[in-house]
Amino acid sequence: MAGASAADVRSILSLPNPSTPGPSQPRKPSNAGERARKPEGISRELYSLIGPSAPSLAAQFVKPRLKQKPNFGSGGRVKWEWRPFKNGARADSMRLHHWAKTGTDPEADYPFAKYNIQPISFVYSQDEYTRLLEDQEWTKEETDYLFELVREYDQRWHIVHDRYEYIGGSERSLEDLKDRYFTVCRKLVKNRPWAGDEASKSQLLSSLQFDKEREITRKRYIASLESRTPQQKAEEDALYVELKRLEQSERRFKRERDELLRTLLGIESGLSELPLDEEGIATGPPDTKRRKKGNHTAEPDTPISATPSSNVISLGQPQPRKAQTAKSAAYDALHFIYRTEVPPTTTSTTKASHQAAYLRSYKLPQPKITSAAKVAQVLGEIGISHGRLVMPTRDNCVQLESLLEAATALVETKKVVDKVEQDIRVLKARLGKRESEGAEDSFGTGEAAPTPMDVDEVEAEADGRAQSVVSTRSARSVRSRKQSRRSMSISSVDTSAAGASRRQKRQRD
Amino acid sequence: MAANERVRVRGLTISRPIIYGNTAIVLTPKEREALSSPDHTHRWTVAVRSAASAPDSDIVGGADDLSYFIKRVTFKLHDTYPNPTRNVDKPPFEVSETGWGEFEIQIRITFVAESGEKAFFTYHHLKLHPWTVVGSTEPDIPPIEAAMKMGPVHSWQYDEIVFNDPFQSFLNILTAHPPTPLPKHTRRPVPFHTANPASLEASKGGVPEFTQQMEREEAERLETARKKVVAETDSWRQKLIEKEKELEKLKKQLEATA
Repeated sequence: MAGASAADVRSILSLPNPSTPGPSQPRKPSNAGERARKPEGISRELYSLIGPSAPSLAAQFVKPRLKQKPNFGSGGRVKWEWRPFKNGARADSMRLHHWAKTGTDPEADYPFAKYNIQPISFVYSQDEYTRLLEDQEWTKEETDYLFELVREYDQRWHIVHDRYEYIGGSERSLEDLKDRYFTVCRKLVKNRPWAGDEASKSQLLSSLQFDKEREITRKRYIASLESRTPQQKAEEDALYVELKRLEQSERRFKRERDELLRTLLGIESGLSELPLDEEGIATGPPDTKRRKKGNHTAEPDTPISATPSSNVISLGQPQPRKAQTAKSAAYDALHFIYRTEVPPTTTSTTKASHQAAYLRSYKLPQPKITSAAKVAQVLGEIGISHGRLVMPTRDNCVQLESLLEAATALVETKKVVDKVEQDIRVLKARLGKRESEGAEDSFGTGEAAPTPMDVDEVEAEADGRAQSVVSTRSARSVRSRKQSRRSMSISSVDTSAAGASRRQKRQRD
Repeated sequence: MAANERVRVRGLTISRPIIYGNTAIVLTPKEREALSSPDHTHRWTVAVRSAASAPDSDIVGGADDLSYFIKRVTFKLHDTYPNPTRNVDKPPFEVSETGWGEFEIQIRITFVAESGEKAFFTYHHLKLHPWTVVGSTEPDIPPIEAAMKMGPVHSWQYDEIVFNDPFQSFLNILTAHPPTPLPKHTRRPVPFHTANPASLEASKGGVPEFTQQMEREEAERLETARKKVVAETDSWRQKLIEKEKELEKLKKQLEATA
């Protein structure tokens, strides 16, 4: 039998025959006109098949045309010029050049300067270290070393890890380093007085979050993914296909069972709402099997009871608390009400445990007795009288408390500075004593002071060495460290004669 | 329902803003003559009032009647006054007297029975003489003629009475009387307070009034102070770290020379 003709197709699709009207039908006025109105995008053969009843969608099958060529450069040529620019991110005054459009402002800021963001570098004092940062795994020296590296390499952790070579320290993984660094930073942020508001503090804290265990697990998992053998991969694929197949058959089974129940018991409603186990995809194959088994046994013979239970679960818990807080905030503010979470385990409080009514100002925060006088002094200097407020409202009391905390921290820091300064003085005195003894000795053996020419040479030699010479010397030179290096090197040579310059002479010889 | 009334509402703290303090005015010679004790120079009124001022009133605070939760206020005056313990059982909770000297007044506030709260004390230093800038060369007590020109002296402390876990019945009473909110912005002079000496100028020229702006400004004052302190702490910490490095160096030197 020959292929189906156009007429056959038309009759199958029950379309009227446009070209050959039946004897009872009026003749169409003009076939040619209709053909001419063939919509764009439909092939002639198809049109002759389906005729004018072509779906409107077909009109959209317009033959794709090439896009018009973009018109480059016709709107006048852009001139570029080679010129110097100012980079605001540079600390030095170095001027670099680049190509820029001639029209632009030559003094405008370098647009990429804003991306030069310095990460906050954290520094801690010995006092803070002993109070907060002690760790059995880490010494202070190694922590210092780590922080120095992190600062130097701009928190590029892989580089830090690569360059990490602490002498006398154990082998550190990248996670160890990161964990130590972020733990220290978090502790510092948490324990130091914070100038900004709470939100910015918690934001910073969350940016310093690091979960070592999780990170290690994550990396191990990725590594295990990478190191799968082809057999394992194939097995995984096979398992996946199997899983899909099982799911499909389960669904089919369910549908058939529903139909059966419907026809047998005449239950029309409810059953179709039984949730299909869509989550099966996410879980592994053994799990699915278990669920399948569960379906066999747990599928209720009385489906009506299943429906409400599933409904209850899907409805979820109502959340009255949230709505209430939003609504009652204004009410609470109006009535000066402040709510706190009641711990659920509260036993019925007796009279003794009830906090009696009080005046807010009586519960103003107080600084610790040991530092109270100094805190008061610090606050007095900036015009705040602690212990008294004009408007002791709740918010202001909280404010005062954080101010007191900050002031206490300041007093503590000053105290430690005093102590360290005292230690420095003691050490300097001891050093000075020793030096003067040493100087007397060298004078005893006696060598002439260097000639002026020597001084010049010594000075010219190397600033670095000159300083090292100074540093082994008396308390006087330590004090003069603040002066410029040049003057120091001179003073080191011409004031105290022998020891240092003699050594240098020998080196030159 | 009645049983529920005596249940404490846990986790809830409700407070009521009050002010306490005094207003003092210098007596004219004529008034002094009329007094039984002619050495008295001032007439003063000590009071406990609600914090917000009634519009167009010539007293500080007192917009609300506080008797819904305060049953009695006892002012204990100086012993030289006749009958020095004055109980005031109904509003206005205030005592007016004449005198020549400043002294400490003990104020005892007793709450209504529904509150189940004990009475508590607070103190107010009776202020008769005009406020002066601390540490200025002016005498603490200006001559009486000058003081007369400066008008009434106001000395008021804002405070909030805080009730923890109030009884339901008491809470109902309190919420039935929401306190008049303080005006958002300063319209009248600011009540002077020694904790904010800078407000001296703003406190002159009429009956002062407590406002929310004062509260905000105090919060800002504390905030700036805190920022200052934190900045200073940072610089001191920097210093400390430098010093520690120096100390470290010195220690090494000492070891090297030893």
